Amino acid sequence: MDHIFFLGTLICVWIIVSVAANLVIGYTGMLAMGQAVYLGFGAYAASCLNIFLGVNYFVAVAIAAVASGFVAVLTLLPLLRLEGMYFALATLGLNFVFFDLFRNLGPRVEGSEGLYGIILPAALATPTAQFFTTLAVAVLCIIAAARLVKSPLGRALRATRDRPDALLSLGKSPTAYHIVIWGVAGALTGLAGGLYAATLFYIDPTLFTINASILVLVYIGVGGLASIGGSILGPVLLITFTEALRYLGLPSTLMGPIQQALYGALLIGVMIFRRKGLVGTHDFQE
Amino acid sequence: MANALQLLTIGIGIAGYYALVAVGFAIIFATLRIFHIAHGTVFIAAGYLFFFLYRVYGVDMLWSGLAAIVVAALVGLAIDKAVYIPVMRRGGGLFSVFIASLGVSLIFDAGFLVYTKGVITVARTAPLAIISVGGVTFRALDLLVLAVVFMVYGLLYLWFHRTKTGLAVRGLTDNRGLAAVVGMNVGQTRTLIFLVASALAGIAGVLTAYDTGIAPDTGSRTLFVAVVAVILGGVRNILLGTIFGSLSLGILTAYAGFFFPEWVTFGVFSTMIALILVRPRGVFG
Repeated sequence: MDHIFFLGTLICVWIIVSVAANLVIGYTGMLAMGQAVYLGFGAYAASCLNIFLGVNYFVAVAIAAVASGFVAVLTLLPLLRLEGMYFALATLGLNFVFFDLFRNLGPRVEGSEGLYGIILPAALATPTAQFFTTLAVAVLCIIAAARLVKSPLGRALRATRDRPDALLSLGKSPTAYHIVIWGVAGALTGLAGGLYAATLFYIDPTLFTINASILVLVYIGVGGLASIGGSILGPVLLITFTEALRYLGLPSTLMGPIQQALYGALLIGVMIFRRKGLVGTHDFQE
Repeated sequence: MANALQLLTIGIGIAGYYALVAVGFAIIFATLRIFHIAHGTVFIAAGYLFFFLYRVYGVDMLWSGLAAIVVAALVGLAIDKAVYIPVMRRGGGLFSVFIASLGVSLIFDAGFLVYTKGVITVARTAPLAIISVGGVTFRALDLLVLAVVFMVYGLLYLWFHRTKTGLAVRGLTDNRGLAAVVGMNVGQTRTLIFLVASALAGIAGVLTAYDTGIAPDTGSRTLFVAVVAVILGGVRNILLGTIFGSLSLGILTAYAGFFFPEWVTFGVFSTMIALILVRPRGVFG
């Protein structure tokens, strides 16, 4: 039973990340390929505050979320004048840059590659409590995101994607909207990072490589671009499905590669047959 | 001083491999606007096939290498026919093809992972011959790699500038729409481009498998560096750009690897981001 709750918690964490990524990739049309950077930053920031300064974990996660938002904006600012594929490439490069930063500067516990020893409050201490707390946070994030995309800000975001000239002619700057949404998505991803660290008890830099960023692309690509429902559907379907594979009795060494190959095939299939994903409202423009 | 020279020779040795992988990627990107991430997969596929034939089946080294290069060319072409063409036919653009290409490498890398269990595969059985000249040592294999690079770049230059199909390739780089209008067979040229580029990746794969060995993630790692090399040099002048980019990165990798081994990736990709910002179209763009 504990394992089911653990999986549920993981799904909730990835839903938050997917919702955040969909805000920038789907709704705003920015080709972001570095979500793992902010996930990792949030996870490391929350864990460090808790382990080394004794900050209550919820407070630590909140601070980590805000800090991730700032880091996200800081990393975006120099990249703002890039367009299309060049922007995608630069964000892709961020994965490698931050991997080395996490690996070389991130604190580690003696004798391991990573960090553990978070002291969790009661609401995150057992798998059951953890699931319901994370679920509550995920639901809040989903409601906030759903309201955001329906608000005037949400309309403006879609306008920066579809009709940037129209925005300009109204005297509004697409760039300002890009910065705001990037910061919001960074903060949400950082929040998810904090919860992710609490779920796993142990974090190390290999969790936050380009593979994690690609994973997010798979989730929202399959679920659906520019769709909150799609951002929920993607992680739920894919994580449940790969877990179900476990019961086929395959040797455990094959599980990783099978999952990887499946995700690869899904990416190809989605790009050929249904570029907006299962319930998406938009497809990749380029 | 000898140390600096030694690192320079090591850097040039590394650059040879980058140059072979990067040039194929650059030709495909410049002519067809396909961001062929799976080019790295083609590169190690050749390495594994070479290892398989040469070490497991005991086929003669030369024949194993040739077979691996031919298969690499066909694998590259198959990826285009089976994945990129369908995506583009249904209106997918640069980014969609790029995502599909990532999917292709995920699948292949998963296969290699199952086959090797993540262990590095080295095809050679004996240590490499070493040549020492005035305090600087280098490996005989590096000379072979550099000779291959010179030959490949020379032949590519002749192909681009002395033949009709080469003219077609350059035509695609300059203006794709016009190339089709003046009656160029774009489909045939596309096939040719994928065959040649993938064969070059195959050569690099065979040599790398023989030299340092390959692991399932060697392909994507090498390819990302090759991409940086291409961005560094730009694709306006493919041959000059990739050789410049590969050399710079090879030398950077050698020096950074000696002085700050933990920061090599950081250095390479910070350079890329900085360069995209300053000159998105590359030094010769």
